[in-house]
Amino acid sequence: MDKVLFTRSLTLVLDAGQTLLENGSEVFRVQQTMEIMARSLGIEDFNVYVLTNGIFASARSPDSSESLTRHVPLVSIHLGRVEAVNELSRELAAGKLNLDEAEQRLQDARALPPAPPRVLRLAGAAGAACFGYLFGGGLAEALVAGIAGYLEVVVSQQLSAHKINRIFTIIVAAVVVTACAISMRLLLLPGLQVNFAIIGALMVLTPGVALTMGIRDILNADYLSGSIRLLDAVLVAGSIACGVAIAWLAARGLGVTV
Amino acid sequence: MSLPAALLHYLCHFVVAVISVVSFGISFHVPRRHYLACGLTGAVGWIVYLLCLNLLQCSAPVSVLVATLPLTALARAFAIRHKAPLTVFLLSGIFPLVPGAGIYNTAYYFLQDDRALFANAGVETLKIALMLALGIALVCSVPLPQNHSTQK
Repeated sequence: MDKVLFTRSLTLVLDAGQTLLENGSEVFRVQQTMEIMARSLGIEDFNVYVLTNGIFASARSPDSSESLTRHVPLVSIHLGRVEAVNELSRELAAGKLNLDEAEQRLQDARALPPAPPRVLRLAGAAGAACFGYLFGGGLAEALVAGIAGYLEVVVSQQLSAHKINRIFTIIVAAVVVTACAISMRLLLLPGLQVNFAIIGALMVLTPGVALTMGIRDILNADYLSGSIRLLDAVLVAGSIACGVAIAWLAARGLGVTV
Repeated sequence: MSLPAALLHYLCHFVVAVISVVSFGISFHVPRRHYLACGLTGAVGWIVYLLCLNLLQCSAPVSVLVATLPLTALARAFAIRHKAPLTVFLLSGIFPLVPGAGIYNTAYYFLQDDRALFANAGVETLKIALMLALGIALVCSVPLPQNHSTQK
């Protein structure tokens, strides 16, 4: 394999792995997919080590050797892209694609648009309302959770559009959710069980999936990746609780008793 | 609760669980053609969990473990039928079972300095997450018969 082709193939594999990782694929699945792709492209001596937030890979051909590293600090889940890259690797393994087509397909996959912000806000509201009900609330709790969930997504979108720190964003969103639920109870719905509404709305933010995936990684013996996810889950949970506590303290300071 | 009322109760929960899972599927940008499959996967898991919790009087971690088994099996079946990665169905499907509220409670009790409740909630949360992960690993390690292989 000549040197240019070798570098292009290796870059393609790394780009595919990075796309998978930053859109929410599991660590061992990224590793597996990259190895399959490398084999299909004829890269020999391919070694890759994937972490929750980075990829290290090296490969050797008779006349050159190369190693590449990728840093993936931010994960935002986009399962559509994960599926597209998965399909790309399957077709590559079946020999249906050449390198040019594969590069084009990867570009298409990375360019898959996220859902419009308006749709995301509505989805957040619907999800929050449903969880308010599933966790034992009634219609009133579901309704308030829905409104709080909508506000929460609005706040997250606005703050992250201004590149504000993620932890701070979560704290502010939790404050808004709690304040919304408490004021609803004060102004409109005296019998509202505030806790069901708050927990329903906060499900959008809680790191339940991160915690579960972290333990899955540890069960797979990816101890480092698992620990990274667990730490992240603890940090996010702490900031949510912090926001809720701030809102309650402020409410008590203003003389509200619920 | 009488039988019709109970059936209605579970039916309501099933429908709401489908809607909630689809909503989170939208937040996770699941392709549109998988919405129904994701919703069904998650709702089946949630109903099995509720049945174990209420009818069989199991503890929450055990119920989660039992519920994860049909959930993951269904997710795998959909993954093979739709030729899509398992993550698409699994990640959105486990959302109702994931101990989000537990993590939140743990952190909240920690801030309130209520150590007994903090330890309780923390252990319960960890157990649930562990059971989820175990259930998924258990079903995922069942080998597929050759003629149903995903490699195609």
